[in-house]
Amino acid sequence: MNPKKLTIEKIQEALREQQYICDRSLATVVYLSISMGKPVLLEGEAGVGKTEIAKVLADVMETKLIRLQCYEGLDANTALYEWNYPKQMLRIKLEEVSRRDRNAVETEIFTEEYLVKRPLLEAIQSDGSTPPVLLIDEIDRADMEFEAFLLEVLSDFQITIPEIGTVRAKLRPYVFLTSNRTREIHDALKRRCLYHWIDYPAFDKEYEIVMTKFPRVREHLAREICAFMQRVRQMNFYKRPGVAETLDWASALITLNRDELDEKTLEETMGCIFKYREDLHHLKEELASKRLDLDQMLKGSPEISA
Amino acid sequence: MEISDEAIHEAVDRYASVRGQGTLANLLAFGRVLKETGVKVSLSQVIDASHSLGLVDIANREDFHAVLRSNLISDREEISLFERVFDCFWQERGLEESPMETVEMSPSASEEKQGDSAGAGGSLEEVVAQASSQDAKLSEETERIPVPTYSPYEALNKKDFSEMGIEESRAISRAILLIATKIATQVSRRKKRAAKGREIDPRWTMRKNIKFGGEIIQLVSRKRRIKKTQVVLLCDVSGSMDCYSRFLIQFMYGLQNELWGVETFVFSTSLSRITHLIRTKDIASALERISRSVLGWSGGTNIGRSLYTFNREYAPSLVSHRTVVVIISDGWDRGDIGLLEREMRSLKRRCQKIIWLNPLLASENYEPLCKGMQVALPYLDLFLSVHNLNSLITLGRTLQKLVA
Repeated sequence: MNPKKLTIEKIQEALREQQYICDRSLATVVYLSISMGKPVLLEGEAGVGKTEIAKVLADVMETKLIRLQCYEGLDANTALYEWNYPKQMLRIKLEEVSRRDRNAVETEIFTEEYLVKRPLLEAIQSDGSTPPVLLIDEIDRADMEFEAFLLEVLSDFQITIPEIGTVRAKLRPYVFLTSNRTREIHDALKRRCLYHWIDYPAFDKEYEIVMTKFPRVREHLAREICAFMQRVRQMNFYKRPGVAETLDWASALITLNRDELDEKTLEETMGCIFKYREDLHHLKEELASKRLDLDQMLKGSPEISA
Repeated sequence: MEISDEAIHEAVDRYASVRGQGTLANLLAFGRVLKETGVKVSLSQVIDASHSLGLVDIANREDFHAVLRSNLISDREEISLFERVFDCFWQERGLEESPMETVEMSPSASEEKQGDSAGAGGSLEEVVAQASSQDAKLSEETERIPVPTYSPYEALNKKDFSEMGIEESRAISRAILLIATKIATQVSRRKKRAAKGREIDPRWTMRKNIKFGGEIIQLVSRKRRIKKTQVVLLCDVSGSMDCYSRFLIQFMYGLQNELWGVETFVFSTSLSRITHLIRTKDIASALERISRSVLGWSGGTNIGRSLYTFNREYAPSLVSHRTVVVIISDGWDRGDIGLLEREMRSLKRRCQKIIWLNPLLASENYEPLCKGMQVALPYLDLFLSVHNLNSLITLGRTLQKLVA
């Protein structure tokens, strides 16, 4: 897709074609990000599609996705570049035999050939016709030092390698940062980004997502699944299930050839929805005490009968 | 601390004079209203927002809203406030009204317009320059105009801090510094190069030995770095803690200013974040700011509910496995004990350590009999006493042994 001819509608439509259902406000943010060259910071609960949108956008723009997964202790060497020391060492050993000019060898082993490119350098150096999508995933997992370093890279889109020189991005990559809010991101970094909070989808949107991903699922079952998910998200679970869980569960139910939800089916498959022992226990308790009455909930729900 | 609708309206009204002066002026005013009501907005964000508006069809309110929100907001907690200010501000102005006509704000358009700066909007640079000078004036003004920061519905007790002396602060600060370093020192997962250490750093060993033609002559080791832990301080300021309030303030202030990365909260029946209020070099002005804005000082206690708020609203972003949570309270709780226990459990699961400092623990025949203390006890890593300077010094020593 040509980045110069984008509109909000086109983006929304193209994402939908790639089976990513998003509301207009998210499409607007993506559009702005592409037009202004500003990174997007996406926050939201786990499993609402933060990472997914970067992947899908790379498909839509027909460009490369470069992903940097953050973790504690991630440093510039792993994110940016590193010299290939073993290769340099071998070269030196080989040169010893031929007894060539030492200075020449020294210059040669600090060239691009001996450089191991990590995601950030790769994104900046990329020279395709469309800029790549750079996904910096779970930035909250990296530490403050890395954040400060990232700030520098994202403000200039250039990297200085002392031995080679400064590498400047020909095309600014489309940058997406995601965070699960396990810690606060520094203001300076936030301010450089467009911010978007992805919420749990409302019933209609979630239904649309399920129907898009599993076109052959029975409509009635899809409605039941979504109604149930909407309900449990309002309850007091330690980890509330996201859309990813909905899709897992739907896929499990389809595999098991179930056409309807009942308590037995729910108990067999609840591992798809809840991943904590306490939560599974809590769900069982709620079902047993009829505080969560499945039958009544499914019958009483206006969305299902609709 | 919720800001009231009246306060928002008042802030919006203050900029009524800008009305009809073009979108950029309106946008700048909107940015300032946000700032005054407590959303952190920088001028560069406002400028970016105005550029963004040139890229979308602003007659579409939904897009207009999305553009402003994504540019001006950078935190989920600010969203609800943003929505309220947005509704109030742009509804009064009316999107369909004249201000919107002048929004041809794409960069090229604004350049073209530079000539006729006498026009409604003026050039971007000009308005921005004007705005920054106004900004300076305004920040002076806003200090004089007290913006109400909480709703008057809750019956409030305000403590007068002015009587509090600061002579002992140095001795206390010293003791606190000792404690702070003990609480907050932890080994990092990041490694640094070191002359001595357990592991060899292959990368640097190679690098260093290239000058010897690749023969390994010098070894470079690495070891784990010392990392500063984050500390969250939850202070009970209810009536039962009254006689310690002077000490508490000292403690909060001392810890916050000795350590990097401390978040401070006070609670009684509800919870308030006061980190920003005491982040200053001058304790007297800090005290004044706290007394102005904290509600429910010397009121009843509801630890459970306060922790509930903390766990929902703040813990996800502030508490990690590296965080030490320090609670200072006597444990007299008038709330729901079940809730307190649940919240202690969930907090414990999230953080590295919970340290409870109890001023009553020092009295000889004290046993943690009150129910609140009893249910909290199993989740504590340390349960210690603080009540005066001596106990602080003892606390420092104990921590030295325990936290090592």
